[in-house]
Amino acid sequence: MNRKKSLTVTRRDFLKLAGGTTAALAMPAVLSACGAGASGPLRIGVLLPYSDIYAVLGESITDAMRMYFDEVGNEIAGRQIEIITEDTEISPDVGLQKARKLVEQDEVAFVTGVVSSGVLVGLRDYFHETQKLLICSNAGANELSRGLKTPYIWRTSFTNWMAPWSIGAWAAQNVGTRAAISIPDYAAGENNVTGFSNSYEAAGGEVVMVQRTPFPNMGDPAPFMAELADSGADLVYTFYSGGAAVTFVQAYSDFGLAGQIPLLCAGFMVEEDVLPAQGSAALGTFSTLHWSFVLDNAENNAFKTAFRERTGRDADVFAVQGYDTARVIAEMLNEVGGDTSDTNAMIETLAGISFASPRGPFAIDTNSQAPRHNMYLREVQEVEGTLHNAIMENMGEIVDPGNDSLG
Amino acid sequence: MENFLIQLLNGLVAGMLLFIMAAGLSLIFGQMNVINLSHGAFYLLGGYVGLSAVRQLGSFWLALIVAPLVVGAIGFVIEKFLLRRLYGGQRHLEQVLLTFGLALVASDLIQWNWGAFVESVAPPALLSGQVPLYTIQFPIYRLALIVFGLALALLLWLFLDRTRIGAIVRAGVTNAEMVSGLGINVHLVFAGVFAVGTALAALAGVIGAPITALYPGLDFEILILTIVVVVVGGLGTLKGAFWGALLIGMADTFGKAYIPQFSLFLIFAVMAVVLLLRPSGLFGLEAWSR
Repeated sequence: MNRKKSLTVTRRDFLKLAGGTTAALAMPAVLSACGAGASGPLRIGVLLPYSDIYAVLGESITDAMRMYFDEVGNEIAGRQIEIITEDTEISPDVGLQKARKLVEQDEVAFVTGVVSSGVLVGLRDYFHETQKLLICSNAGANELSRGLKTPYIWRTSFTNWMAPWSIGAWAAQNVGTRAAISIPDYAAGENNVTGFSNSYEAAGGEVVMVQRTPFPNMGDPAPFMAELADSGADLVYTFYSGGAAVTFVQAYSDFGLAGQIPLLCAGFMVEEDVLPAQGSAALGTFSTLHWSFVLDNAENNAFKTAFRERTGRDADVFAVQGYDTARVIAEMLNEVGGDTSDTNAMIETLAGISFASPRGPFAIDTNSQAPRHNMYLREVQEVEGTLHNAIMENMGEIVDPGNDSLG
Repeated sequence: MENFLIQLLNGLVAGMLLFIMAAGLSLIFGQMNVINLSHGAFYLLGGYVGLSAVRQLGSFWLALIVAPLVVGAIGFVIEKFLLRRLYGGQRHLEQVLLTFGLALVASDLIQWNWGAFVESVAPPALLSGQVPLYTIQFPIYRLALIVFGLALALLLWLFLDRTRIGAIVRAGVTNAEMVSGLGINVHLVFAGVFAVGTALAALAGVIGAPITALYPGLDFEILILTIVVVVVGGLGTLKGAFWGALLIGMADTFGKAYIPQFSLFLIFAVMAVVLLLRPSGLFGLEAWSR
């Protein structure tokens, strides 16, 4: 067939296309000229996944942020709030490209978001060098509070060390002293191995096996079950999210391990976004996290109700983080009187921020540039006909050490 | 040794699931010389339609029938109104662009309709439960899947090898123009094969849902594995799809079990070796670039 024909572009087509593209590219610059300084709308860049496996996390964070901004009338310190969202997928390359777009083309005042640890690490140098502020509302890579710490990235979420460290000692004292670990083979998985092993071994436990599974596509986890069954461990500690969280928990139950060896994990693995799909296979799973759906405090009860009314679905920990992030942004902007021209002035206000969050007392730690908040020990139970993470114990406040001394 | 036998069963499960996918992709290629990059999307769509069927009708078995019918009908329409315009000559690039575009559109439509949450489908009550096997309990559903895959392979083989329609389809693979010259409505055959191929993907989606769960992005995960299977087995033949699926299913399973760090690499290494030794795949048609 005539291959040429289908690829031919006439001169007129080309001119139309080029003209349109130029106009489209010029628009943001024209708009931003009107929005500079301490008055006019304030533009916030949001970098989150809206496609692929973490799309739900991105949606939760965005919905809750918008909910908070709506609550304050979409106006903070006299300035209209304008959110520009960009889809990072789960790719560091795409994340960086979208960050550049937000900062250089849309000229946002600062950026928030980032779900995947890989994307966060990939963005680190860009924000460090351009001295733009990034307020991270999920990704927990320990390194950003430690070796890769930069004044320009602060977190309102957590560090990956927190959940495994909290459950390690408890596991050794209450479940058994021989543990097998199964994690996805990437940075956040390794953060979980060191966090869990350090506190588990300090409390007298022994890690007998570490199983590293392919990431990001684990596929059917069936081939990993026999090794766990044969490990002779008293418990299995894991950390999976998204589809892998569901298939792993189901295979663990399908292959009969659930009744034999207690399953422990970082709380994300059995969070509200995946729990309905896991179903009864998740019953009895122990986890630690900085929030639970059933946490009973005034802020959480109000938040859950409002989120449900707004979105028609139940809140999850990611929504809580989005809501807290919006609040941190609001307090920061109020402190600087809505003037976003001086990034360092904005950063200085972050360290002093503390409030009562749906997760309990929330404050930003100056050293780790991440939150101090409570950790809760949870167990998947049926609460009034639905599966939730019942709170077994409030383990008290946790703060990242800011170095690798504790794992 | 015990571990080896367990992994052998796991490999059979993976292989049979891949076979149902690969059979559809391979049939379509053999017949129309089109690499259908939306095949993974039809898997996911089948799974989600199955999920809705289970929720609405309360029966996994009905879902097993409804999903392939619905998705097969969509396939029929796509062939008739879109793909048909791009047959013949050197139009592979356009075909690839069309089917890849369809895959992207489908995955957005799926997310729009079913949301981005991970969903799972429970196996039917009849097949729940386990059989003790050494240190583990082997799920009955997975054993049933092996049997089903083998039965389907036999059925497809009988259909292609022993029926009149099968003979027409096979003749079409070899020389579509000649078949057309014999007075057979090749257009109808093409549409039918495309519909059956997509229906097979949807069937795999429903059967696989209790194992792989359903989530955005799964479509492309599955698609890549299926393409590897078809390339290894040889494009356009049922036999190739079957043995390719078994080989890749086993490589994937044993890779994960014994050398997890290299398991993805292993699949592609197997593909590379097969292609080096037999460029048209294990059972590929010799001259497939018509």
